Amino acid sequence: MSQHQALNKFGRSGNPIIRSAAFQNKVSSSEEKMSLEGAVNKTSFMLFLTVMTATISWNFQGPLMSIISAIGALAGFISGIMTFGFYFFFVGWIVKPRPHNAPRTAPIYAIGMGFIIGLISQQAESFYPGIVIQAVSLTFFVATSLLLAYKTGIIKPTQNFMLMIFAATMGIFLTYIASLIYSLFTGSHFLIITGNGNISILFSVVVVCIAALNLVLDFDIIEQSAEQGAPKYMEWFGAMALMATLIWLYIEILRLLMKLRSR
Amino acid sequence: MSYLTLFLGLIGILSAFLFFYLLKFKASSKQTNRGNRIRWNSYIPYKEKKPNKVKNKESEDTSFKDN
Repeated sequence: MSQHQALNKFGRSGNPIIRSAAFQNKVSSSEEKMSLEGAVNKTSFMLFLTVMTATISWNFQGPLMSIISAIGALAGFISGIMTFGFYFFFVGWIVKPRPHNAPRTAPIYAIGMGFIIGLISQQAESFYPGIVIQAVSLTFFVATSLLLAYKTGIIKPTQNFMLMIFAATMGIFLTYIASLIYSLFTGSHFLIITGNGNISILFSVVVVCIAALNLVLDFDIIEQSAEQGAPKYMEWFGAMALMATLIWLYIEILRLLMKLRSR
Repeated sequence: MSYLTLFLGLIGILSAFLFFYLLKFKASSKQTNRGNRIRWNSYIPYKEKKPNKVKNKESEDTSFKDN
């Protein structure tokens, strides 16, 4: 019997478990597809990285840490654009979403944002003791409530819901950009954003609500991608989207609590 | 530490555990079986991996030459 015939008859190995075709089929069916469990694990890992770097920047304050935090924020911003893309009104996608970049950019994003969050949180805590615990707790409380509402079907994200949230998020983003430009030229801030008046607090409440509703879209991305058997890297993409919204929600809740405490 | 902070901290820990626990479960059929769902794959382009490696391995097996 020639080698070719022998291979055809018995395969490369007699053991069916390690026979190449059987092994490869198993790998492709179980490893290539996204799962809910995988997305949860990646979210936990990203949260761990963020908390670790936030702890470092909280404990080692100084000019060097400020520089590291600024670099971290920039790295996080670039990672976000490389993964989620950049959309602008009337122009369309300036940078298209590239979810396949997420396995590389998600850990950088988590680490970078951790540094800046640690710095912001430490400064908030020095003015208002106990505020960080309250903000973290409220963030998880809001996220869990919305997750429960999503999983049970109380909140159903539709096309109109998505457009509404997207428009509101863009509106907030543009307001922040306008405020930044205004403060650069005049040296003062928009009181509607930074003040502690009723309108400013109402604005913060609205922003917190929009940030929280963005979580529903993230849950839907993760759920639907897992359902449709999306590629494995979508686990990282979903985790990164969820982390980005959680970080935004945390910062907005922190800002709201600071406004309330300063009255 | 005030009682409010302590109470909120406790709620936060419980919420965080519940959040990661619930995230693992599939959504109810009320959520998944409806016609007006957002079609995320039309907004987020999945780059499907080409099964080149598997094909190459299989072709390695079949293109074994007799001596």
